[in-house]
Amino acid sequence: MSRHSKNAKAFLKDAKYSEWHDATFWAVREKRDNMAHGLPEWEQLRQKASQIKLHTLSHLDEYLEQFSAAAEKNGAIVHWAADAAQFNEIVFGILSEHGVKMIVKSKSMLTEECGMNPYLEGKGIEVVETDLGERIIQLLGQAPSHIVMPAVHLTPDQVGELFEREGISSEIGNHDPTYLTYRARLSLRNEFLTADAGMTGANFGIAATGDIVVCTNEGNADMSTSCPRLHIAALGLEKVIPDYDCLAVFQRLLCRSATGQPTTTYTSHFRKARPGAAPMHIILVDNGRSEWLGNPEHWQTLKCIRCGSCMNTCPVYRRSGGYSYSYFIPGPVGVNLGMLRDPRAHSGNVSACTLCLSCQSVCPVKVNLGEQIYKWRQMLPVWNAEPAGKKILCKGMSMVYNHPLLYKAATGVVKKPFHSLKTDSDE
Amino acid sequence: MKVGLFIPCYVDALFPQVGMATLKLLRHLGVDVTYPAGQTCCGQPMANGGFESQAEPLARRMEDLFAGFDYVVTPSVSCTAFVRHHYPKLLKEGHTCEIASKCMDVVEFLHDVVKPTALPGRFPHKVSIHNSCHGVRELGLSSPSEEQIPQQNKIRDLLHMVEGIEVVEPERRDECCGFGGLFCVEESTVSTRMGLDKVRRHIATGAEFITGADCSCLMHQSSIAKKNGLEIGFKHVTEILAAGL
Amino acid sequence: MSSKQDILGRIRAGIRERYEMPSLADLQATVFPDPLEAFITASLAAGSKVVEISPSSDINATVRELFPDAKVIASNLPEINIATINPDTVGSAQELNGTDVGIIRGSFGVAENGCFWIPQAMKEKAVCFISENLVILLPKTEIVNNMHEAYRRVNLGDYGYGTFISGPSKTADIAQTLVMGAQAARSVTVLLV
Repeated sequence: MSRHSKNAKAFLKDAKYSEWHDATFWAVREKRDNMAHGLPEWEQLRQKASQIKLHTLSHLDEYLEQFSAAAEKNGAIVHWAADAAQFNEIVFGILSEHGVKMIVKSKSMLTEECGMNPYLEGKGIEVVETDLGERIIQLLGQAPSHIVMPAVHLTPDQVGELFEREGISSEIGNHDPTYLTYRARLSLRNEFLTADAGMTGANFGIAATGDIVVCTNEGNADMSTSCPRLHIAALGLEKVIPDYDCLAVFQRLLCRSATGQPTTTYTSHFRKARPGAAPMHIILVDNGRSEWLGNPEHWQTLKCIRCGSCMNTCPVYRRSGGYSYSYFIPGPVGVNLGMLRDPRAHSGNVSACTLCLSCQSVCPVKVNLGEQIYKWRQMLPVWNAEPAGKKILCKGMSMVYNHPLLYKAATGVVKKPFHSLKTDSDE
Repeated sequence: MKVGLFIPCYVDALFPQVGMATLKLLRHLGVDVTYPAGQTCCGQPMANGGFESQAEPLARRMEDLFAGFDYVVTPSVSCTAFVRHHYPKLLKEGHTCEIASKCMDVVEFLHDVVKPTALPGRFPHKVSIHNSCHGVRELGLSSPSEEQIPQQNKIRDLLHMVEGIEVVEPERRDECCGFGGLFCVEESTVSTRMGLDKVRRHIATGAEFITGADCSCLMHQSSIAKKNGLEIGFKHVTEILAAGL
Repeated sequence: MSSKQDILGRIRAGIRERYEMPSLADLQATVFPDPLEAFITASLAAGSKVVEISPSSDINATVRELFPDAKVIASNLPEINIATINPDTVGSAQELNGTDVGIIRGSFGVAENGCFWIPQAMKEKAVCFISENLVILLPKTEIVNNMHEAYRRVNLGDYGYGTFISGPSKTADIAQTLVMGAQAARSVTVLLV
């Protein structure tokens, strides 16, 4: 039994909860379908988006240089981090230089990937997540269970009880999501006003202009950068795209795919620091990406724009939950990214796929996610990372199928097979 | 037009009536069809499980077995998809791969090549179509629900020629049933849950039968239906199309 | 920094085939027979209120009418005379906290999704987010069909910041229940002039 399958079994023990989980994410898939089916040019957009990504990734050296030059011209300070450790050190270095004790940040899967929060906390810096879902799981000490809706696995009661414990709620027993959201707003407002620095991730970096583009529904990236005197933006290398014409294609696909809205509430462009503030710092993070780009079978995983739609449509994700996967990004793209990161550590996830290929049919940039999982599976025997039973089963099948007589004997036991039923002179 | 009938291993062993129905149907429609002896398996189960190399000799067997036919027709969408999409890269040295381009699932062969305008049978029942993933997303038997393309369904088109039939589709019309070859062994809990969800959605349509173009999906669901005491019948689409033959 | 050269070197070593940039000229993007009508429909769906006013009417009176209880009104727009605080002259962005109504100008709207472009045109952009209620003055003649047209018009201005906004700040992070008013403005009113 693979590790994922063990975890999934535990997840499915609670039939009511798992049914709710499945229905919740299927509803997001349906919202996405409404958007996709309402836009006649949808498939054309996907095709263009895929081609733009192939072009950009295969010219990434040029676009990164263009981006960093443009950003520097805008007055930003651009850093290049080779790996997670270097990224964390750069962030800490900037924060130390500015005497920062507390930062507010918007959601970033990259900082999650690099383990930035625990690193900074270890250095005595307080990090406050400001996306509501991220804030909730931060207070619970959990990891995200989904990249777009990180706390959707929790029920209103679980959030309500957390807010009561944390002193965020005042009306005990009121677990209405509207009330809880309002209480979180009041609590976070204070953090926005007093933070020394704001940190954002990036949905896109625009090579032509040096813009950092951040899409949120809550406006928390904008709140995080409106009061503090320092803004640090972190982006993975693959987030850079050529220009605004390309951005329009991705902007139209991203939110429709992610949550089924025609756009996020905020699509914000950060080019310069706000007046009177310190220069904006942009950190370009490699952390494996440049090597993955050289992987002939799997480099296209880098096309991903992190919309999460492959998770919502995945029948296995919906019935096993984000925590059943060993990598911090779950679902089809998470299986692939985990294998790129560390195949030995994450090979237990590749069984979590029926090869139904729904993921690659929803993917707005046409990453061939299912086909890549198939390819990763081919590597397991090579690494000897296969469960023993499966290997024996496949060897057995192989032997029988390669020997028609053996096969006839084997199948004859089951039922009177077709090959013995045929009545007349077919052969 | 010479057609070679390919009866995949599990269809041969477990659903010989589907092989018979396919044969009768093709004959009835005047197709020159032959069943070459010595068939086993296309290699899909091993390859999907991560043992693609074990599928290579089987691919060579298949290529040799079906040399000389214009079409290779089979009542299995996932085997067709495997032969069509994976054989070209499996058969490397010294072997041209002809079977990949001439292998067709029986539904697409009937719909796109034979194009019958009438079928003799009657099937006065309500049936719910099971759209198998590989049929939908690899062979295009129906429009994937994810995509913004004109809606069509080749299984439905053929079934509509059968007298007395009522054809419906379940909610979540092309969500996977959870079979997935070795998936149902490795991830048995999720697989079972998916199958149960699927059967219930089919039953919710009020259908008496679940029908589809892939026996493996039907097999998976029928065993789950049986275990859970759920009353619904299962028929491969050829069994319905060949009704009355 | 050496990391930069190392990273770029690894990228160059890894690239095997350079793919062409596709032409976007043949993209058949949705256009609307009546972009303004589509913009209004999409704005309402995004949770905005939309109020059409005649050019001769007094915007100040309209805002007063819409927000009779507002005490703190923030704006730097010359035509607004009811502002009690100005984002250009505040000592710090934090001073804008507690703003009941922020009034800002949008340069154009987008029909397909109900968003409008706000280039930063004030010293403290906080006013766009920290205000409980946000009022946007938007010329009704300036509606583009889709984001492709929008991005041909995007201009960040001297402050080097701009944002597309559609409706109030919102979240569905608790059990997928949509709640208006997450961290930024709790209501958005588009005044179409």
